[in-house]
Amino acid sequence: MDRPGPLWVGLALAGVAAVALLPVLGNEYLVGTGLTVLMWLALTPSWCVLSRLTGYVSLGHVVFYGLGAYLVVITWQQWPLWLAVPAAGLLAAAFAALVGGPALRVRGPYFVILTFGLAELVKFSIMAAESAMGMAARILFGAPDLLAVYWMMAALALASLGLLAWVSGSRFGHGLRSLRENEEAAETLGVPVVRYKLIAFVLSAAIPGMVGAVMALRSTYFVVGQVFDPMVSVTVIAMALLGGGDGVRGPIFGVLFLALLSELLWAQAPLLYMILLGAILVVFVLLVPDGLIGLFQRWRRKGAAG
Amino acid sequence: MSALLEVEGLGKQFGGLTALSDVNFQVPAGAIVGVMGANGAGKTTLFSLIAGNARPSRGDIRFEGRSIVGLSPDRVCRLGVARTFQIVKPFPAMTVRENLRTAAMFGHAQHRSREAADAATQSVLDEVGLAADAERPASALTLSGQKRLEIARAVATGGRLLMLDEVMAGLTPTEVAQMLDTVRQLQSRRGLTLLVIEHVMRALMELCERIVVLHHGQLIAEGTPAQIGANPQVHSVYFGEAA
Amino acid sequence: MIDTLLSGQLLFSALVTGSLYALVALGLNLVYGTMRMLNVAHGDLVMLGAYAAFWAFTLAGVSPLWAAPLVAAAGAAFGVALYRGLFRGMLAKVTPSTAGKLEGNSLLLFFGLSILMQNIAALAFTPNNRAYAYLDQVFRIGNVSMTANRLLVLCVAGGVCVAVALFLSRHVAGLAMRAVIERREAASIVGVDVDRVQRLSFAVGFGTAALAGVLMSMLEQFSPFSGFPFTIAGFIVIILGGLGNVTGGLLAALLLGIIETYGVALTSANLRSVLLYGSFVVALLVFPNGLLARRLVTR
Repeated sequence: MDRPGPLWVGLALAGVAAVALLPVLGNEYLVGTGLTVLMWLALTPSWCVLSRLTGYVSLGHVVFYGLGAYLVVITWQQWPLWLAVPAAGLLAAAFAALVGGPALRVRGPYFVILTFGLAELVKFSIMAAESAMGMAARILFGAPDLLAVYWMMAALALASLGLLAWVSGSRFGHGLRSLRENEEAAETLGVPVVRYKLIAFVLSAAIPGMVGAVMALRSTYFVVGQVFDPMVSVTVIAMALLGGGDGVRGPIFGVLFLALLSELLWAQAPLLYMILLGAILVVFVLLVPDGLIGLFQRWRRKGAAG
Repeated sequence: MSALLEVEGLGKQFGGLTALSDVNFQVPAGAIVGVMGANGAGKTTLFSLIAGNARPSRGDIRFEGRSIVGLSPDRVCRLGVARTFQIVKPFPAMTVRENLRTAAMFGHAQHRSREAADAATQSVLDEVGLAADAERPASALTLSGQKRLEIARAVATGGRLLMLDEVMAGLTPTEVAQMLDTVRQLQSRRGLTLLVIEHVMRALMELCERIVVLHHGQLIAEGTPAQIGANPQVHSVYFGEAA
Repeated sequence: MIDTLLSGQLLFSALVTGSLYALVALGLNLVYGTMRMLNVAHGDLVMLGAYAAFWAFTLAGVSPLWAAPLVAAAGAAFGVALYRGLFRGMLAKVTPSTAGKLEGNSLLLFFGLSILMQNIAALAFTPNNRAYAYLDQVFRIGNVSMTANRLLVLCVAGGVCVAVALFLSRHVAGLAMRAVIERREAASIVGVDVDRVQRLSFAVGFGTAALAGVLMSMLEQFSPFSGFPFTIAGFIVIILGGLGNVTGGLLAALLLGIIETYGVALTSANLRSVLLYGSFVVALLVFPNGLLARRLVTR
């Protein structure tokens, strides 16, 4: 993987500046939008840590988000936030540690549908539990303001990007990529595949857990079906697919592109946005499997050769 | 001094099929031992059991004096046993150098950094003749190139015991001669111990000091190439009666 | 409670549900068996079939019985068109190193198609639930009360499954299909026209899904998002029953129908989804390679 050139460093600095200045210069609507973008910037790279690097595509990423949100909701007003949010991350990581062992023995497309099924199972189980306890929905009073939530999410986005960058360039990351290319060969060459897959899975869970926790603070009204919405998982995949590549640049691009699109369409025509999402999945899987980053790299190589 | 590799009473059942039964032999350190047998004789199963890709039903396997039965393949590799696969398994989207880097980082050598791993594998690249292709993706190599990559990766792990599974298969006579040279060089430069499965007789006879012959999962003969060549049982198994 | 459990009522209900699942799983099985692609959009075809029957009935007064063969044929045609347009091209580009990725990628592809179908349907038909009444007079056989439409579903679904099973085991084209499912390369070497078989499997697969939709529309209300549980059910069935194994699929579908029906009776309707997804997860964890991973004896 090449070191980022001056162009990328400049863009990165501009991005950091934009994030820092938005609350100062922007109105509430813009900050809210910024928050959404930061949320996806936190969710997508964490997904990549597992699914891009190992090739074990998870369609159930939202389960960590939902678990984190649920923890905050049920400990509301009982636990201080500085405890609840990290605890949410821990809960999600613990869940991953628990199910990861058996789940990661499942290969290829079966893993994909298994993760989906797991997320739905957790969702419906919590729904059943809530209805058994007589809770239709929960209402949260006294949530921190938008700005506080914004900064927390910015920190999580930074952490997520940092995690992906670090893993991607590390020895651990090389091992993950090797097992992605050929798991049996990697294991025979000394890569501890079982342990590494599990570690990647657990690492990918912690941040979404905290993201879910923080986002729960945003809306005063908690509905189980919403925080475990499978479309969150699909959107993360679409963003990563759109961007492409193993590093952080792809997810950043994918997130910005889709977030922009959804901002334009969501309010007016949510169905249209979903249709576009589906179309993106189809088009990118078929025609642009390496994502925008792949396209960009190919274009640059052609430029250098020609 | 005990042998580097000892196989004792080894047996493997797949359901109703007996792939190996009561196989006993030893491989001294620094030796080149060949494994010979018709298709289905159990040769690759033997490798899989030693490397940890499968578990024996019966018997023991000892490397450097300690039993390695039941260890996962990555642990066996870290201890110093490396194998190639009959059907090559390169990391297709990775470059040749990156392929070797995995071996150098995670195999017996356990290099911690990219730089250390790449420095260590440069000599392997040179000896195997892939230095020019170092930055090309593994999928772009010819079959002969991929076979050499397979060997290079196994050597790059830094292990003492190298198990080669039919590395000559599908090569032209010229390529076979080159491969023999390469393998001999790798072995002598690094003091490796080789266990070699081969169908190509020439390779077997020229390369190996000792040969074990498997038939229907049983070890039916063991000896020098000359002894094996003259062995009537081996002849009847391979060529029918009367040699 | 015991009375309800032992009643023929529940058993009948389980059989009806099971027969529907069997039909859905059949199509899924064929497409996956021949192409190794998990069609997660399969349930949405069921949904489209249901809408087709609904509009035929409410707009043109055409009974689902007459609509069924037409809708099934339309589904089959759609399948063939999709195969020709999309998948034949995809498969042609496969190399040994990308084959593994193809399975995962095709799943995302089908998922994208699923999202497209669900939301285009929601846009076109509104997201609201639809239902219509047809042949829903209650009558009794013995001490089991049932409606004609449920009995019809059981007979049609069951009949089609048996017919396809016979086709696969007797007819030359069916045998060719089984050959492709078991050993693709070997089948093409012995002269099987793999392309034709794949096309046929798409046709039968999509056609049976559409038919299942017509049948389903008679029994329950549905929305553009009702297809997905059928996809899940279909997967549970093929995982449990075995890939390409039609008899196994029939039995597994019945089992699933029983688990669901009796499970809901024993606990509550809330738990229907928990049971469905719970069975799904357990099935996959117990059979990590989809059950039919016959352990290949390698040398």
